[in-house]
Amino acid sequence: MLRTVERKILSYLKTSYRGSYIDIGSVVGSSDKIWTLSLNQQSTETPIVLLHGLGAGVALWVFNLDSLAKHRPVYAIDLLGFGRSSRPNFSSDAKEAEDQLVRSVESWRRETQLDKFVLLGHSMGGFLAASYAIKHPERVKHLILADPWGFPEKPSEVVQKRNIPLWVKAIAYVVQPLNPLWAVRFAGPFGQWLIETTRPDIIRKFSPILKEEPSLISQYIHQCNAQTPSGESAFHAMMQGFGWAKNPMMKRIDQIDSSVPITFIYGSRSWIDNTSGEAIKQIRSNSYVNIQVINGAGHHVYLDKSDIFNRYVQDACLLSDKYPKLSNGDEVKLATEIAQSNESEPAESAVEANNNKTAST
Amino acid sequence: MNLSFAGCGFLGIYHVGVAVCFKRYAPHLLLDKISGASAGAIAACCLLCDLPIADMTSQLLRLAKEARTRTLGPFSPSLNVQHFLLDSLQKLLPDDAHLRVSGKLHISLTRVYDGKNVIVSQYNSREDVLQALLASSFIPLFCGLLPPRFHGIRYMDGGFSDNLPTLDENTITVSPFCGESDICPRDLSSQLFHVNLANTSIELSRQNMYRFARILFPPDAEILSNMCKQGFDDALRFLTRNNLINCNRCLAVQSTFVIPESVDLGEDGTTTSNGRDNGNNKYGNERGGGGGGDCDDCRMHRQEALVANLPETVLMLFQEAIDSANKGLVNWLFKHRSVRLLSLLSLPYTLPADVVYATFTKFVLNAPKLQKSLMDMTRYFLEQLSLVFPKINVYYQPMPQTIKCHVNIMDYGSNMYSDDEPLLYKPHKANVNVTLEYDDNAKTWTDCGQSTNCVINVSNLTPSGIDNRQTASDNFENMLQATADREALMAYYYVEDGSKVHFSEIIDINDEDNDNRDNQQFSSDSETWKVQNNDEELNRLNSEMSSTPNSMINNETDVSTESNHQWYFNQQQQQPQSYQQQQKQQQQCTPE
Repeated sequence: MLRTVERKILSYLKTSYRGSYIDIGSVVGSSDKIWTLSLNQQSTETPIVLLHGLGAGVALWVFNLDSLAKHRPVYAIDLLGFGRSSRPNFSSDAKEAEDQLVRSVESWRRETQLDKFVLLGHSMGGFLAASYAIKHPERVKHLILADPWGFPEKPSEVVQKRNIPLWVKAIAYVVQPLNPLWAVRFAGPFGQWLIETTRPDIIRKFSPILKEEPSLISQYIHQCNAQTPSGESAFHAMMQGFGWAKNPMMKRIDQIDSSVPITFIYGSRSWIDNTSGEAIKQIRSNSYVNIQVINGAGHHVYLDKSDIFNRYVQDACLLSDKYPKLSNGDEVKLATEIAQSNESEPAESAVEANNNKTAST
Repeated sequence: MNLSFAGCGFLGIYHVGVAVCFKRYAPHLLLDKISGASAGAIAACCLLCDLPIADMTSQLLRLAKEARTRTLGPFSPSLNVQHFLLDSLQKLLPDDAHLRVSGKLHISLTRVYDGKNVIVSQYNSREDVLQALLASSFIPLFCGLLPPRFHGIRYMDGGFSDNLPTLDENTITVSPFCGESDICPRDLSSQLFHVNLANTSIELSRQNMYRFARILFPPDAEILSNMCKQGFDDALRFLTRNNLINCNRCLAVQSTFVIPESVDLGEDGTTTSNGRDNGNNKYGNERGGGGGGDCDDCRMHRQEALVANLPETVLMLFQEAIDSANKGLVNWLFKHRSVRLLSLLSLPYTLPADVVYATFTKFVLNAPKLQKSLMDMTRYFLEQLSLVFPKINVYYQPMPQTIKCHVNIMDYGSNMYSDDEPLLYKPHKANVNVTLEYDDNAKTWTDCGQSTNCVINVSNLTPSGIDNRQTASDNFENMLQATADREALMAYYYVEDGSKVHFSEIIDINDEDNDNRDNQQFSSDSETWKVQNNDEELNRLNSEMSSTPNSMINNETDVSTESNHQWYFNQQQQQPQSYQQQQKQQQQCTPE
């Protein structure tokens, strides 16, 4: 079911893609498989790996795959416990669950024999990407975080609880132990309808490809989340309170090797606080941190303004290709340079120039 | 760039804060289209009409206070929110409001009968604007039972279908709920989940849950004041972040070329072909600098904005409201929980009084209108009655009549044809014939037939009966002549099974005497009957037909049954011809 819906969505892609299960052995469960989409594998450029957010899957990158695969290999994976990947039981400990997820990504990398890649994560995927970069900095050529989750620390209870009436607290208390997307499963056959009514905005974002079957995306999201909530419970384990990370990335961002360049891409309307990007810029004063805000985009920044998003990602990748050692202060200079080169000549020629350069060196 | 305000009931106070900020720091943004639903529409309208913010605020505070003093809050029967809104808008809106807002103010409405969203932007009169605003803020049951009409169609709150109407890509969305809007409170929460209700994205957080409840139940003045401040701050943050704050002089310069530019941006945004420039121009520092707003004044302006707060007038209003809610023995008393509880407990006793009071005031208010509407209603009712009753007659009367007349008809036929004439139609002249039983009925129906035209159809059978009876002595020739001379008033044609065409005519013979008498020829067992009346158009037909009737009639007179059969045959033979004519004539006759 999920497979047919996914195939229908991906039929929109112009680039040919290959979908395969990568067997990663026993990382969490006994034999875990990770569903992987790979595009343009024959390219020799640095590949890019896409990690989706909570409740999503590979098919939601449909607007980005084509454009990114033009220049480099693209790998999009369903994280372990999500989408079409296997759904083992994760630990209920925040630290352990996070480790398990990161280990699964690393095993996947080993199986696919990637050496160094650009890692792009959205929302929860961004959190995991950052966590991965802490553990395996040598693998990450560039860390791109699209509206990542789990960065800021949870504010103290005193500040938050103020002014909240009792009944609201009561509801919050009841809902807290449940998995984040419990409502979708609870609704049973009405789950798809629930998604359609509560998130018509996501479905609207896909309107260019939904001409024949308007319910495709809601079906996909429903199918992704109607199964055993294994990855979701891992997320629940990493979460505390109302959507805060138990081990916020803010505290640990300095553990990422300073050689790893980071690009943040935020939507201007996003409710995930983009001040954390600025704070990270302060913390990592001796390494490359670039913050891009896309106007008019929300949390699903890769869908809202996919053109701009793709360009920013492409720019960041080009930048790392061009300058293996990026450091603080480079971003302004380099960004303008890249932008200029992009404006003066089409992106393809920029890549070619880039190729020549790498060839000569 | 367009503005869009979300509908949010009493949280509309947030919009006031935003409006203050825009008015002061970015008036150029208010020149374009502004859309909104519900409370957002009212805010948009006030902004476009340039109403004093203080008035808006005080009205809103007054309404909130009214609602809070009642135990049931705004649900109290005696508080009519719609009425209150109408009153204050009547007072505040300028006379040329429709001219000012037409084409700019986009109000989102929900059509009641199919639940679809409608956005209106053209208003012919001030009343139009008021109606649209009221319709847009009509929440069923909360505001009343019957939704108001706008241009004849009933609408309700736009929040049910599209709470945050966006006109194009470059719409600045303002929403008092933390979520994915340009200007909205940024709660301290890292919540990952939000829902999208009627186009408004609302984060699932405790604060938003609280806000949601406050849509209909206004909080106290202090919280309202905080919300207003929050709106001001959020709007200011948005403006500073996007470098939209400039001094007036630079704005004047800018408005000549930046606004066209922003229009271009809008086009780019929609086609997304040129997304890059769009993103860069609007964001980053380029725009503010590029717009030429970099003079000292601008910088001063921006500096000032950093520490700005709500204007004094508005703040004072809030302060007054807070004070009035806190001071005084009564307020102090009512703040106590015990008193609250008491008022809740006493609800069953106070509620009926409240309802009575509400009905009474409603009655008094509507008394002048009531008379008219009552008159209208009775008139309508009577019309319906008068329409219905004849119909009832039609359906009731023919049945017994026709059945009864079966017998008569045969006899009439014979009578009729044996007799005739001008005298023929004089009532009660002739001898009464075979079917006495039906006489009474027949007579009554004749009366009816004479009195109204409609009933003539019905009474066709009977008058003839009478005629025949009355005019037993008349000659058929005379009658025939009479029919030949005059045109039928009405003619009926119908096809019976076996595709036999039958027809009847009603002929008016009021020249001779003043009676309207119908002359009918019934042939056979009522399957064919013919009522003839004098009119020229039917003459042709008559003349044609007359040959057959004539012979046949003679037959009838002599041997009734046999003749009947003959008549049939004749009729049938004649069918094709006569049928055409009949049809033609029917067409001609029907207008009469």
